[in-house]
Amino acid sequence: MPLQLTTPQWGLLVPPLVVLATIIVLLAADLFLPRTRQSILTGVAIVGLTLALLSLATIDWTAGQRTFGGMYRADPFAFFVMLIALAAGILAVLISAGYVESGFEPGGMALAEYLSLLLFSILGTMILGTAGDLLMVLLGLEMSSLAVYTLTAFARRRSTSLEAALKYFLLGAFATALLVYGMAWTYGLTGSIMLDDIAAALQRAVGNGGRVEASVLLALLLLAVGLGFKVAAVPFHMWTPDAYQGAPTPISGYMSSVPKLAGFAAMARIFVEGLAPLRQEWLTLIAILALITMVYGNVVAIAQRDIKRMLGYSSIGHTGYMLAGLAAFTRVQPGDHSVGSLLFYLLAYAFMNIGAFGAVAWLQERGYGTTLDDFAGLAGRSPLAAIAMSVFMLSLMGLPPLVGFYAKYYVIVALIEANLLWLAVAIVIMSAVSAFFYLRVVAVMWFSEPSQTWQAVRTPLLGLGLALMVLGNIALGIFSGPVLDLAQRWVQAFA
Amino acid sequence: MTQLPVLTLTVFTPLIGALILFFWPNASPRITRWIALIATALSLLFSLVMVFGFNRTASGMQFVEEVNWLPALGIAYRLGVDGISAPLVLLTTVLSLIGVIASWDPIQRRVRAYYIAYLLLATGMLGVFVSLDLFLFYIFWEVMLIPMALLIGIWGSGNRVYAAVKFFLYTLAGSLLMLVGIVSLYQAYYQQTGIRTLDILTLTHAHYDSSFQFWAFLAFFFAFAIKVPMWPFHTWLPDAHTEAPTAGSLLLAGVLLKMGGYGFLRFNLPLFPDATKRLAPVLLVLSVIAILYGALMALVQEDFKRLIAYSSVSHMGFATLGIFALNAQGLYGSMIVMLSHGVVTGALFLIVGIVYERAHTRELRVFGGLARNMPIYASFFGLFTFASLGLPGLSGFVGEFLAILGGFRYNRWFGAIALLVVILSAWYMLRVYQRVALIRAPGEPPDPDDPERRTAELATQPIAGGADTQHHDAPDPRTFPDVTWKEALTLIPLALATIWIGIYPGYFLHWMQQAITQLAALFGNIGV
Repeated sequence: MPLQLTTPQWGLLVPPLVVLATIIVLLAADLFLPRTRQSILTGVAIVGLTLALLSLATIDWTAGQRTFGGMYRADPFAFFVMLIALAAGILAVLISAGYVESGFEPGGMALAEYLSLLLFSILGTMILGTAGDLLMVLLGLEMSSLAVYTLTAFARRRSTSLEAALKYFLLGAFATALLVYGMAWTYGLTGSIMLDDIAAALQRAVGNGGRVEASVLLALLLLAVGLGFKVAAVPFHMWTPDAYQGAPTPISGYMSSVPKLAGFAAMARIFVEGLAPLRQEWLTLIAILALITMVYGNVVAIAQRDIKRMLGYSSIGHTGYMLAGLAAFTRVQPGDHSVGSLLFYLLAYAFMNIGAFGAVAWLQERGYGTTLDDFAGLAGRSPLAAIAMSVFMLSLMGLPPLVGFYAKYYVIVALIEANLLWLAVAIVIMSAVSAFFYLRVVAVMWFSEPSQTWQAVRTPLLGLGLALMVLGNIALGIFSGPVLDLAQRWVQAFA
Repeated sequence: MTQLPVLTLTVFTPLIGALILFFWPNASPRITRWIALIATALSLLFSLVMVFGFNRTASGMQFVEEVNWLPALGIAYRLGVDGISAPLVLLTTVLSLIGVIASWDPIQRRVRAYYIAYLLLATGMLGVFVSLDLFLFYIFWEVMLIPMALLIGIWGSGNRVYAAVKFFLYTLAGSLLMLVGIVSLYQAYYQQTGIRTLDILTLTHAHYDSSFQFWAFLAFFFAFAIKVPMWPFHTWLPDAHTEAPTAGSLLLAGVLLKMGGYGFLRFNLPLFPDATKRLAPVLLVLSVIAILYGALMALVQEDFKRLIAYSSVSHMGFATLGIFALNAQGLYGSMIVMLSHGVVTGALFLIVGIVYERAHTRELRVFGGLARNMPIYASFFGLFTFASLGLPGLSGFVGEFLAILGGFRYNRWFGAIALLVVILSAWYMLRVYQRVALIRAPGEPPDPDDPERRTAELATQPIAGGADTQHHDAPDPRTFPDVTWKEALTLIPLALATIWIGIYPGYFLHWMQQAITQLAALFGNIGV
């Protein structure tokens, strides 16, 4: 058969290419910029990411166009993943720039390295969002993860940072191995790595006999375990608290948001699209994972006195809620809220959790630690910072009219529509449990007296980032209708 | 119908005040207070426009406003009032304004933050009563929690942080269950009709099967039962009430507790009539327990405010008794009890606040003989005491009478037991009046000619040790000045309202007639 080479539709690749170009500019500029002018790089990164965000508008996402032989897809799902990744990326740059520039951590990274690694991770997540086959999923996931492993080790002279990175890397690599093994099984069984073809092959198999072979279940299990590691679902969560606590605070914020997005995007692509015919098999699995994840994360978080560790465990809890959103998937139909609610949750989570870590970083830059006591009396000293942190905590708790409430609400709606009332009740009970530790932070800030002295530091970018996220938490909630519509549209792409 | 969005204006004027304060960091405490006063006064003004424009003979919702919000999920910004919510809106705007005046002098610390929280609270409370969309209702319901918790936790007394967190966790736990109830209801209606909506009126017109009704009833029930609070969900209330600043207690007692009763009337009864009928006996038993338990607990309190707080549990028991008697008398009764309790108990908290400002303690044994040097104070206190124990001619009597009548009609034992408690409430209210206003102050030489001396001495005598040895540093109640004009300003409108409801309840009953007749018809009982 003669080899046919078709020209790829470069137009569909504009947003990731803009990010790639920004990375190249960053690395090149680093060579010429004097040490004192490094802060220009932050501006370059923000401009690059913003341009990428704007370039999303140049493509018609609803048409479901494909290129590179179907490996790269420009459908509404890809759009939404890119949207979250870029928005979270901008926020992460805003909250981390000062932290990196000021050399806050001993042996920290150069700004250019830092920013380009961060952008590589964002790029990987964007690619993952467009993945049309298993290979692209793997590529995106690894590009996203590897950069974050390195970022976790950012503070080379602090042992906890190295330990966190090592733990994250080893378990992450382990997870990747399992994932690849699962992909190999899937390929072996269905004869294709294209998600469409896998779905079609499985449909034929299920349609014929109705019985699912054990080997298929093995493949399913391997995929679930591998991705479970990536999103920190219990019992594959062991790396999370240490990694979140050990990593530099702004990285923890980023880590809790974008790599989680990558993991869930991969889950949605593989499970909902590729393995849709096996829905009965994986739904129960995901639902049970969701339950134990949310219970474990929220209950253990109660005992934490370190805010970063508490946020780490609470992020496990939130993984549980997001998994519940996925578990509510019934069938590909326009009215289905499950994956839409999951995507909305991921967007909301970026604004809540990066914000929370940003507020912790804000305190750290003023000479404070990361324990609960460090937050004592913050309201008396800096009411605006206290309000920002309160907004993030209350949003994570799910209090209206903040975006966290809407995110949970949509998941609950999806669950009740899928007749999973028990999971909806579990979310509600766990929200009440989580109120306990989120509220403790709020109470300490507002109701206690400050214990330490204050270092006056100017952090305009961090302040801007926090302000943006507070606004996001309020506005995204109240005007969540259009965003949710957007999140839901992707299901129609392959209906 | 007027073109002016009266309800939106009523609800959001306090919020605008809060925003002005938020973006004006240099506002002096004086200006801050005035902004709060103007915002709440405007809100009251708008609510009065609503009151005077209210058509008492028309049934259904009035002043309806509707704007699409999240159409994909059938969520809209819908507001409206009927005979049940309109009086409660008025109560809220009146008490909000009075609360600002009552906070004028006592609040001297972090004044701007205080009024921001206070105004947010006002918006949340008003929103609850006028929302006609379940989602919107839920948002207002939850929004109110944070400012109330802040008011208790920052400006409260003694054990305030504990009380604030307890209040928050209790009410949050209750309302989260309600959220599941809301979504289930939405889903049930969608399955029945294929329409996605959270419009309360639309949802009310559907009929749900009985097992669904049962569970949904419970999901809503816990949120409201905690708020009312019904026994045994009341434990947050004495702490919250006792530790809250005076205006916080005023709004807690005056408005927040009413939200529970309102929730029953607006949601549980019309949405789930079958389940209501099934569960009514249990709920009536709980109501009677609350009446009895609250009164008995009030009898043994040594803290002035805690006593009033427990009396609230008892009074609100009458409100739930009236509601679950499921007949028109009971429903009228519960509404009047709620209005009356809002006015009278709110006033009693102001009464406590006035002596607290002077003595910085609320321990009953410190006070005594206030009637001598604070005659105006004692007169107001007397009036509200009589209203609270249900003296005919004052507001407490009408409501309790109707509620008990409703209870009688359901089953005479409920009525009979509730009636007995009226004696208890007379006992604890008169005793507290005697201890605070009448008998001699501690340290005062006994009057040899006073025939009441021995009883008085017994009443002030602590169980172990003498009162004089324990309270050397306590301020002398004989030196307290009488109420200031600002304090009088907060008490006068409430006194007038107490008398007005007591003498001419028809004004309010007529207001509610359409709504209550409709509600009572659901349970086979029409008219009075």
